[in-house]
Amino acid sequence: MIAAVAGAVGAAASGQAFDLSTYYPIFLYLGVCLLIPIAALIGSHLFSPRKDTPVKLMPYESGMDPIGDTRQRFDVKFYLIAILFLVFDVELLFLYPWAVIAYGPDADPSWRPIFGRIVFLEILVFLATLAVAYVYAWRKGVFQWR
Amino acid sequence: MTPFHFWTTAITIAVVLFVVLHVVAYMILVERKVSAWMQDRLGPNRVGPWGLLQPIVDGAKMFLKEDIIPSHVDKVFYILAPGVAAFTALVALAVVPFGPTDPSQPERYQFVIAPNIDIGILWTFSTGSMAVYGVILGGWSSNNKYSLLGSLRSSAQVISYEIPLGLSVLGVILYAGSLNLERIIDWQVQHGWNALYHPLAFLMFVTAAFAECNRLPFDLPECEQELVGGYHTEYSSIKFGLFFLGEYTHMITTSLLFAVLFCGGWHLPFGLTDGNEWYHTALKLVSILGKTAFFLFFYVWVRWTLPRFRFDQLMGIAWKLLIPLATVNLVVVMVLREYEAPLWALTAASVALFVGATAFAARQTTPPVIRRTGNIHGLPTRV
Repeated sequence: MIAAVAGAVGAAASGQAFDLSTYYPIFLYLGVCLLIPIAALIGSHLFSPRKDTPVKLMPYESGMDPIGDTRQRFDVKFYLIAILFLVFDVELLFLYPWAVIAYGPDADPSWRPIFGRIVFLEILVFLATLAVAYVYAWRKGVFQWR
Repeated sequence: MTPFHFWTTAITIAVVLFVVLHVVAYMILVERKVSAWMQDRLGPNRVGPWGLLQPIVDGAKMFLKEDIIPSHVDKVFYILAPGVAAFTALVALAVVPFGPTDPSQPERYQFVIAPNIDIGILWTFSTGSMAVYGVILGGWSSNNKYSLLGSLRSSAQVISYEIPLGLSVLGVILYAGSLNLERIIDWQVQHGWNALYHPLAFLMFVTAAFAECNRLPFDLPECEQELVGGYHTEYSSIKFGLFFLGEYTHMITTSLLFAVLFCGGWHLPFGLTDGNEWYHTALKLVSILGKTAFFLFFYVWVRWTLPRFRFDQLMGIAWKLLIPLATVNLVVVMVLREYEAPLWALTAASVALFVGATAFAARQTTPPVIRRTGNIHGLPTRV
């Protein structure tokens, strides 16, 4: 019985078979984690006193009466950063599976001699392309914050 | 398939959450105590001996304080935001091992909530980075200028530091060949701690993780002098507490990751942990939790050692220093891995890169010059 279990665990750990039951603990944990903030918010709502005054309900801006609303046009300079972030994050998303597939202990042995080196060079070219984009962004002054 | 043992999992989850919530509470006490010692004060010492009951009183206080919902906020998002912050931080812990899980006897005990998850580290990163939703929802729905500015800063910072965080771990994954954290530990048990082979990546990972947690010296989202409280200015009682819970849970998760990814997990040198007797298991548990505790202390230590960065410096560190350096480091590790270089070459390359980058940065850095430019009403501009 234990040997069978160990074999099954080994198969799952080596990534050969995907089985949703491996993820059941995570689903259970998600549910429990969801309960904690909800319970905290409801509990605090039940136990805490409520005594509203107009001043208490004002926005807190260091004791001054707030001037104007926050919902106004606002120059968000970080949108370029957000765009660049997307580029690099997608790069990471490509590199993670490659690292596991190419160098994992259970990588297909017939795959590496044929494609291993080519894919490695591909990844280098991919990184070089990104480097060009990065240098372009730098020269365009994206990384200057004033 | 991994057999799913409902009660083992349920008990593990209960224990983990109990421990994490209490570690968060006591971490606040530890932070105050250590800060006090570093500043030659006494710190909290009124509630219980050495103030040991302070966290419990604080927790009760969080519940009993008035729960103010200001009149100008977007109620739904305002209430949702702290929940999202706490939820995402807690969820990130699901795959992080905090002890030696013996896969041959999964029905006896497990020291990780979800064993044998192959996406491992990816899960932690993805859920951990979702914390930015809590921050930006809180800042935007508060309808307060301080909150909005704080949340904008925080989101820019968190997404910027996410890239070096991911890039520095990639070297480790190239060698371990798996995203599963338990197998990364196994690799280190066989070959030695990753901190020895990837010292530069370790340094960058620690730096980026500090920024991800909004800890000093990267705590600009909530720096008191400029932004009052940052994105949680308008929050009170348990909602504020949930933001705090989220932040400290992030610290615990990243401290565990430092130990697991780079410091051997539960492994100790000199064959101290080579075995499966009960005392080996106990020693492994003490080992990984001790490393985590050290890194938690390290967070506080750094807080009182380094001054806070300016915001342009902060973004500059991420985009002009960490990302290029992490990419170059990654390419070097990739080449060494592809051509199967010996492991000591990794250490040598890492140290050489560090020295080279330091020399390069030292040559680039010039003292700030104040010069009149005249384009903005003659105000001096930093060049």
